[in-house]
Amino acid sequence: MKDRNITLHINGEAHSLTVTVNRTLLDVLRDELGMTETKYGCGTGECGACTVLVEGKAVNSCLTLAATMDGKRITTVAGLSDFGRLDHIQQAFVDEAAIQCGYCTPGMVMKTASLLAKNPDPSEAEIRHALEGNICRCTGYEKIVKAVKKAAQTMPGRAAAVEPCKEAVQ
Amino acid sequence: MSSRTLPEFDLLLPQSIPEAVELLATHGGRITVMAGGTDVMVALKFSQQPAQLPEYVMSLEYVPGLAYVLYDPAKGLRVGAKATVADLLESPDVKQHYRSLWDAAQVFATGQVRNTATVLGNLLRASPAGDCSCAIYAIGGTVAFQGRAGRREVDIDDFWISYGQTARQPDELAVELVLPPPAAGTHSAFRRLTRTSEDLAKLNVAVQLRMSGETCVEARVAMGCVAPTPLRLKQTEAQLCGKALTAEVLERAAAAVAGEISPIDDKRSTAEYRRQVSGVLLRRTIRQACGVA
Repeated sequence: MKDRNITLHINGEAHSLTVTVNRTLLDVLRDELGMTETKYGCGTGECGACTVLVEGKAVNSCLTLAATMDGKRITTVAGLSDFGRLDHIQQAFVDEAAIQCGYCTPGMVMKTASLLAKNPDPSEAEIRHALEGNICRCTGYEKIVKAVKKAAQTMPGRAAAVEPCKEAVQ
Repeated sequence: MSSRTLPEFDLLLPQSIPEAVELLATHGGRITVMAGGTDVMVALKFSQQPAQLPEYVMSLEYVPGLAYVLYDPAKGLRVGAKATVADLLESPDVKQHYRSLWDAAQVFATGQVRNTATVLGNLLRASPAGDCSCAIYAIGGTVAFQGRAGRREVDIDDFWISYGQTARQPDELAVELVLPPPAAGTHSAFRRLTRTSEDLAKLNVAVQLRMSGETCVEARVAMGCVAPTPLRLKQTEAQLCGKALTAEVLERAAAAVAGEISPIDDKRSTAEYRRQVSGVLLRRTIRQACGVA
């Protein structure tokens, strides 16, 4: 069978479509759904520009067959912002100027999202280990690592968790 | 072909193991089986000759019940065909009882690839550079295949036939890897050399040693990137067995390595470099296993 009917739940919205079986998830996101925020880099799973979350896990969408994603929950970088309001990770990348050409940024942000979901307070070594599959050819990574640290510090819920302690001290 | 487009193929999406086995029995060699896809997808994109292209790709995505990593102190570790490298890292049992495999999983490719690449896929790719393959070879174990006629188990020592080729028959589905429980006094370690962390290894080595007091009573040593398949170094093992692991013994074991390997020049390293550092890496890996790194 060369075509399959699938439903993808992308950024909270269901998309039912017919896909040719040799199309990757990246192809379908960009070319069929017009969601060009996810980037094509190397096509072989080395650069991480195409990183999206599938059921919360960071994967290379260039190595994922769309036809095998029926019913899956997919998050792209556009799914992190809320009606144009940047989330804490996106804002941290802006604040730390962790962007030059910006091409790797969607993948970097998505890998950061998966890291912080599992490890809200990563060390620098853990950050660098987590980002080993995301290549940036402009920044030299220093600012990206700073942005991830800042994103961890500004994660929603974190301030609330810290507040009561301050009050207790007072 | 390019890194952008995939060739045409029919996609088979079985919903159960019996259905997958039946499809393999019917179409056999015309099927490429895919679990995580991190190797198969790249191979498909870069297939040069139409003759190499499969007619069918069979994805295991919708086959339930194969994504397990289960440890039993009496029976050992069972790793299902869809268990990913990341699943190994999530298992405290793997970290505690199969440290070399956990260490290999930790440095395997990248986070994104670890989330999708399967442990069995690494074995079935039959690359001499596979990190999990190297660790598993030194631990020992069996791979179970399911065919129409039933289940067949192949010892990991007989698993790799040549570069890219395993003991799996075209009509068989690899369903699980079984590793024996570690005997008392077992120590294991894995190390590798790469240029950057996400590169394939230019050299990797894994050891599993069973110690009785100061004496090594059993040794398995596996090395990768030094032959067409992962390699077990039996003469090197013989230098360790029955001896206290003194500096002199480690020196003799390291010296034995060069006689057992046949490395080549490729884009990641040279034969000469590999020959020179293989013994050093072995010595360091043994020290790491024994906790004197």
